[in-house]
Amino acid sequence: MKKTCLIILGCSLIFISCKKEKGCTDFAATNYNADAEEDDQSCRYNLSLNFTHTVDEEPLEIDQMIYANAAGQNYNVQTLRYLISDITLHTVNGNSFLLDEVHFITISDSSTFNLEIQDLNSAHYSSISFTMGLDSIKNITDLYLNESFFPSFAWPEIMGGGYHYMQLEGDFTTALQGYATHTGGTDGIDFSFNTNLPIAINIDNVNTTVIINMEINNWYDNPNTITLTSDGIMEDSNKQMQLKQNGMTDVFSVSVNQ
Amino acid sequence: MKRRVFFLLLVIFFLSCKKDLPIIFGCIDQNALNYNSLATYNDGSCIFDTISPHQTTPYAIVSPSGFPNMPVPENNPMTIEGVALGKKLFHDPILSGDGTQSCSSCHLQSAAFSDTNRFSQGINGSFGDRNASTIINVGWNASNFWDGRAITLEDQAFGPVVNLIEMNNTWKNVENTLNSNAIYKDLFKKAFNIDDIDSTHVVKAITQFERTLISSNSKYDKYLRQEVQLTPSELNGYVIFNTEKGDCFHCHGTEMFMDNLFHNNGLDAEPFTDLGLAKVTGLPSDNGKFKTPTLRNIEFSFPYMHDGRFSTLEEVVEHYNSGLNYSSTVDPLMKKLNIGGLQLTNQEKQDLIAFLKALSDPDFIENPEFTP
Repeated sequence: MKKTCLIILGCSLIFISCKKEKGCTDFAATNYNADAEEDDQSCRYNLSLNFTHTVDEEPLEIDQMIYANAAGQNYNVQTLRYLISDITLHTVNGNSFLLDEVHFITISDSSTFNLEIQDLNSAHYSSISFTMGLDSIKNITDLYLNESFFPSFAWPEIMGGGYHYMQLEGDFTTALQGYATHTGGTDGIDFSFNTNLPIAINIDNVNTTVIINMEINNWYDNPNTITLTSDGIMEDSNKQMQLKQNGMTDVFSVSVNQ
Repeated sequence: MKRRVFFLLLVIFFLSCKKDLPIIFGCIDQNALNYNSLATYNDGSCIFDTISPHQTTPYAIVSPSGFPNMPVPENNPMTIEGVALGKKLFHDPILSGDGTQSCSSCHLQSAAFSDTNRFSQGINGSFGDRNASTIINVGWNASNFWDGRAITLEDQAFGPVVNLIEMNNTWKNVENTLNSNAIYKDLFKKAFNIDDIDSTHVVKAITQFERTLISSNSKYDKYLRQEVQLTPSELNGYVIFNTEKGDCFHCHGTEMFMDNLFHNNGLDAEPFTDLGLAKVTGLPSDNGKFKTPTLRNIEFSFPYMHDGRFSTLEEVVEHYNSGLNYSSTVDPLMKKLNIGGLQLTNQEKQDLIAFLKALSDPDFIENPEFTP
């Protein structure tokens, strides 16, 4: 009797100690486990986010007086810097994954066009959402002192504090006239907006790239036709609202390379 | 028999899942003198160096309100000993070719560590072609020199000693001179634990001192801390400065009063006599762009602009008000370029200057910590 017990005990020990190791068995995953014999659904994947900029659907050419807005003015683009926040992927069944809290993009540094997201869950994602600028919780003076967009993006306290959402600058009509389409929280009003765009991606591949494009000319059109002037607009809450409305309409679009 | 079966099972149990990990006994603590990187099992043999022969005292940099953390290079941590040595070197003419000029000859504390002369005179009597930069809160600089050619302060400090029209020395000569000086031998030993003084450590000490040159106690700072009131004129200047009426803040914003970027502020029409940033980047789009200086202590750091062309703040404000020149790289933020500039009233200009003078920090200019 005792012998039988020992044998059973011993055999079960062997089985427990040698049970198949579980882990991610997909070689393409970032956490691929060569020792794993059984997949446990833990695989993680990388995702690239690319930020692109177009005018009339053509890639932006910096400092070329070749563009015309809806108001019929010629203009060029010399500076474009902006903040995108709360970049989030959503699944059909309502789960969401925050990819990045705040991302700063400037056309003078192409390394800011790219954001590498690591260790994303394998899932089917149906939309991506993000905020243009910073919402009122984030748009606080001195909250981002150690970020690369400080100090150049600070929005003076006297005009509401916080940070610019965007600095789009250049010349219009003639080279002698500069414009500065600066958006932000005028007088502390929240003019940021959230965009939620449908996509269909299965994150189960190493080479997935999500492209977020800004169509610059659309800032000045639909529904509001905006005429460029050399006057500042940082204290003009009507202009800020118009730009927000135009921005929500069709400034941003998303595509996927998989 | 019972026992035999039991042991057999135990052996099978151990063998069944063994991994190929050889066991090497040794000391596995990286801080120990006899650390064995191959060891997998600690055998208690570690020996530690308990008496350190060289000790320095950390120098704590306190970032003023509204400033980022100061990025101090990992290979040049701030120490009391390093800062003290740097201060001595900064004020010592021993670094120059003929022993007549120190850093402080052209970076005078009374002038916010700049030169009140438009161009500084080097040891051979020749002049440079740019106004000496101030040294105020430079620990937060993203680059140095008017054209940004030195990214770090350490890079910057290598320059003037061997510049032919500045100190006109060689680093070999500086090293020899310092190595034959018993006082410096001792100070370098204390600061860096080195027996042989080299240029790298000379530069490290000087930049440690420079990182302590922090100005954050102007009347404006006291106003922000609600310790004093600004006059109505200063307050009006503050509004002009920080709104798009004067639009000074886009380049000289925040408590740093600079944006760490480069701009062409409409000083000249083309062709430029000084290409500025383009000299470094080689990009025509950078022609005529210069690094934004901080406006702190601007009252003391005359003359103004990269070439010291303006001797008063009145001239500077008048430049932005009516004197802007068009060039292909002029910044779009130069407001109303087509009519020469901002078009402020005389009162508004005076108010703006009153505010600029509220950025003066006498405690910085007179700080005995900075003087030899």
